[in-house]
Amino acid sequence: MARLEDIPEPTRTVVRDIACPSFETAPFVTGPALSRRKVAIVSSAALIRRGDKPFDFGSGEYRAVPSGWPNDEILMSHVSINFDRAGFQRDINVVYPIDRLRELAAEGVIGGVTETHYTVMGSTDPAAMTDSADAIAAALLAEGCNAVVLAPV
Amino acid sequence: MSALAHMLEDRGLPTTVLALVLPQVEKTRPPRALFVPFMLGRPVGEPNDAAFQRRVLMQALSLLERGYGAPILEHFPDDNPSWFDRADWQPAMDLPPPATPRTAADWQAALRAEMALVLPAWERFKARFGRTTTGLAGQPPEAWPAFAASFLDGALPTVALHDTSALALRFLADDLKALYGEAVQAEGGPPSARQIDGWFWRRTVAGQFLTALRAAAMVSPNNALKTVGGRFFVPTPYLPMG
Repeated sequence: MARLEDIPEPTRTVVRDIACPSFETAPFVTGPALSRRKVAIVSSAALIRRGDKPFDFGSGEYRAVPSGWPNDEILMSHVSINFDRAGFQRDINVVYPIDRLRELAAEGVIGGVTETHYTVMGSTDPAAMTDSADAIAAALLAEGCNAVVLAPV
Repeated sequence: MSALAHMLEDRGLPTTVLALVLPQVEKTRPPRALFVPFMLGRPVGEPNDAAFQRRVLMQALSLLERGYGAPILEHFPDDNPSWFDRADWQPAMDLPPPATPRTAADWQAALRAEMALVLPAWERFKARFGRTTTGLAGQPPEAWPAFAASFLDGALPTVALHDTSALALRFLADDLKALYGEAVQAEGGPPSARQIDGWFWRRTVAGQFLTALRAAAMVSPNNALKTVGGRFFVPTPYLPMG
């Protein structure tokens, strides 16, 4: 069973005890049925296109991942070496499930998939991501997104 | 991701999180989350299993149709199949037991010789899966042995893609691990991540070379290399004892 106790030390203690931000509000945005949702992926895998500079350590930046990027052009530049990459090597969808979303859209299960997805460096302090959150949200809302799947690594 | 979910929701976007670390999602309390009991690095579960991935996504997406009730936290009920070791798994290529070179020139020669045995399997992996996740190093595989070995002699080379020698070597290490990880999976079903890691770090020159590079980096006068080498070459379970 893949549970916290299966993560090797000291990574286990780090992920268990890491300081987590608290939020004074609990926003909860509702929307239509899934069949009318335009879905985006936000990944914390620090994805880049082949040839681009990797994310800097601790960077609060975000990068856009256009839907049209071929899967074989997308690399992972996350700083941590203490998580599995073998699954990602075999199939990008275990990290960035773009093919599954396209299939769900083609079948009408969801309304559509956004033209652009987004990625950040997951180990970064969320307080450094405020500007990125502003920009990602504005861009997604502008293209009619009304559902975001957030995928960590 | 849970914090970013709060932030995006606050800006008007409905979100659903695939959560890999239960204590974190319990503390951060995003509006909607599906705890998935998969290993770190595989939030959607099983590679090349569209039906399994679809189940994960559909359960996460279904949380978006709930009425108000934040925070919603559900658990995905199943482990992904390749979390478990495959008893019948064999590496896609046979490698001789790694020797322990002493000089930079010997390390370079040993890695070059081993890569000559690994590269054909890597080509088969690329043909089978249509992609490679290597490409961070900013230089082709044939350049890696000499570039990396030069660090053992105290050199600090770099490449155009990276701003520092430390980053150039760090991402070469990432590419080396990725190339071997892909090559060893060229045939058959997916082994567990533990099987791949155990093979790489215990049975290859490349794994031992990265361990030697880590040792050299940690006594380097270059602080960036010292930090990068100490933290980002060898994962904790495979650090040398003592």
